[in-house]
Amino acid sequence: MKTITYKLISGILAITVLCGCNRQNRTAGGGKQVVVGVSLLNLSSEFIVMLNEAMEAKAGELGVKLVVNDAQRSAERQIQQVEGFIAQQVDVIILNPCEVDASSPAVDKALAAGIPIINLNSATQSTPTAFVGSHDEESARIAMEYIAKRLNGQGNVVMMQGFMGQAAQLKRDQGAREILAKNPGINLLACQSAEWDRAKAMSLMENWIQSHGTKINAVFAQNDEMGMGALLALERGKLKDKVILISIDAIADALQAVKSGRLDATVFQDAKGQGATAVEVAAKIARKEPYERETFIPFQLVTKENAGNPR
Amino acid sequence: MKSWGLAIALVLISAALSFAHPGFLTVPNLINVARQISINGILAVGVTLVLLTGGVDLSLGSVVALAGVVAASTAHPDQYPVVVPVALGIATGALCGATNGLMVTRGKVPSFIVTLGMMTAARGLALVVAKGRPVSNLSTDFTCLGGDVGMVPIPAMILAVIALVTFVVLKNFRLGRYLYAVGGNAEAARASGINIGAIRMFAYTACGALAGVAGVVLAARITTGQPNAGVGYELDAIAAVVIGGTSLSGGVGSVGGTILGALLVGVINNGLDLMNVSSYYQAIVKGVIIVGAVWLDRNRQQS
Repeated sequence: MKTITYKLISGILAITVLCGCNRQNRTAGGGKQVVVGVSLLNLSSEFIVMLNEAMEAKAGELGVKLVVNDAQRSAERQIQQVEGFIAQQVDVIILNPCEVDASSPAVDKALAAGIPIINLNSATQSTPTAFVGSHDEESARIAMEYIAKRLNGQGNVVMMQGFMGQAAQLKRDQGAREILAKNPGINLLACQSAEWDRAKAMSLMENWIQSHGTKINAVFAQNDEMGMGALLALERGKLKDKVILISIDAIADALQAVKSGRLDATVFQDAKGQGATAVEVAAKIARKEPYERETFIPFQLVTKENAGNPR
Repeated sequence: MKSWGLAIALVLISAALSFAHPGFLTVPNLINVARQISINGILAVGVTLVLLTGGVDLSLGSVVALAGVVAASTAHPDQYPVVVPVALGIATGALCGATNGLMVTRGKVPSFIVTLGMMTAARGLALVVAKGRPVSNLSTDFTCLGGDVGMVPIPAMILAVIALVTFVVLKNFRLGRYLYAVGGNAEAARASGINIGAIRMFAYTACGALAGVAGVVLAARITTGQPNAGVGYELDAIAAVVIGGTSLSGGVGSVGGTILGALLVGVINNGLDLMNVSSYYQAIVKGVIIVGAVWLDRNRQQS
């Protein structure tokens, strides 16, 4: 019995030492390789997939090792993942928060453990070491301003909201309503959630066409998925040439639709810029170089004129 | 007839909605409703078969996404004739259903658990096939399956055909009676010489194949294969089925009831959208109706 225990303990010790050596050996171009833990909001969303690809590309370029976890929209899972990164003693954590409040404990825990943490794409209540992303309100402001301009400040608009209560929905609502308040001639005819979903957006648009018909002058969908759904319903209702339609994110489908003149405009959120910058900042922090505490990547209106090359 | 109460409820609610909003009781809007219930209706007919045998299928929403993605990835312009993506989509669904059936009948694992596993696995597989992003650029031959012929939406026609065939099978064929028998009293069914395993296997496979049909129709309607489409569709389908009077413990139910249940949910969704009722309240109303319908039914049976 005793010998087995000894063997076990020495075995475990040996493995630990080996692992330890292994850890020391992880070198790339001189210094110790930087390991960055990444917790992403949801890898089944196209925008987050693009963000991830940009990060992987930049990490390869800088010789940084990424450990990517998918929180699948759950703030609770996200906190567990950050706890895992703390246990693994990664050099820096990049957090793509699920929720404003509910993901805050992840930031607090990392900071308490002395591991720098970068918030990517959206904010949390707690202040991280650095922030890379965009003001979500701005995207909706750009969209609503576009509508106001196209309608010359007069007309009826309907707004399709995202999943109620999520940060992106709340902020895009806020941004849109700021512009509506400045344009008293623009009337918000109806406002409902299609839960970021193309099929739901299509049904909702069909119902709106039914209840408001030709009174609708413009549609603002809070993401491109819903924008594409609304577009299909408007086209089937033979109303597209009478209605202005804009959505946000500039996913591949939407860009294609803008190029071919079906969708009036989308607002480009720079996944590549955001992902690459976050990894750059992480590498700088890990190598104790000076870094930007806040980097705001601007949104950009994409219409038929510039649809070929939004950066 | 069991479904009369529900039919009356549907008429009353429709009457109330047409008073509340003049746009409700118009031909274009009723066509909208038919179009919007098609996918849920197809799924609900399929899951009726499984519920009749006393099982459940929680994997429907994920199978819809997987079938849609598989179909879409073979439906690009000038790739294959349109029958290929359609057949592949339906076959994918049937394969998922058959796997569920095999695990339930041969593996003796409870259907709740088998289909819960399939729900996760099929979603993952859909994301793998689609590489995490929507599969777009589909041929018009394919996307027209989600469109209209004249005034009539093709998805609604597909639902009508499926409902009719299932109705006839359940009513007039031995297979239909066996489905009820297996769910009503499996031991008695076995004693009378029915191959319970084969009947259950049929129910799961048919349910999966119909989820495949729904996936193809959905992809055609939204002109993309979306790996994250269909989340929660299984519960919407089961809700329509139980509102329609099918018992969760098996042996009792009908396709007519299921279609009425799907119509009721569709009409209420549509009406609340027309009246611009906030999404928060819509969810509450839907919940109350699911429980309320079954509760009323239960009370009526006891009295």
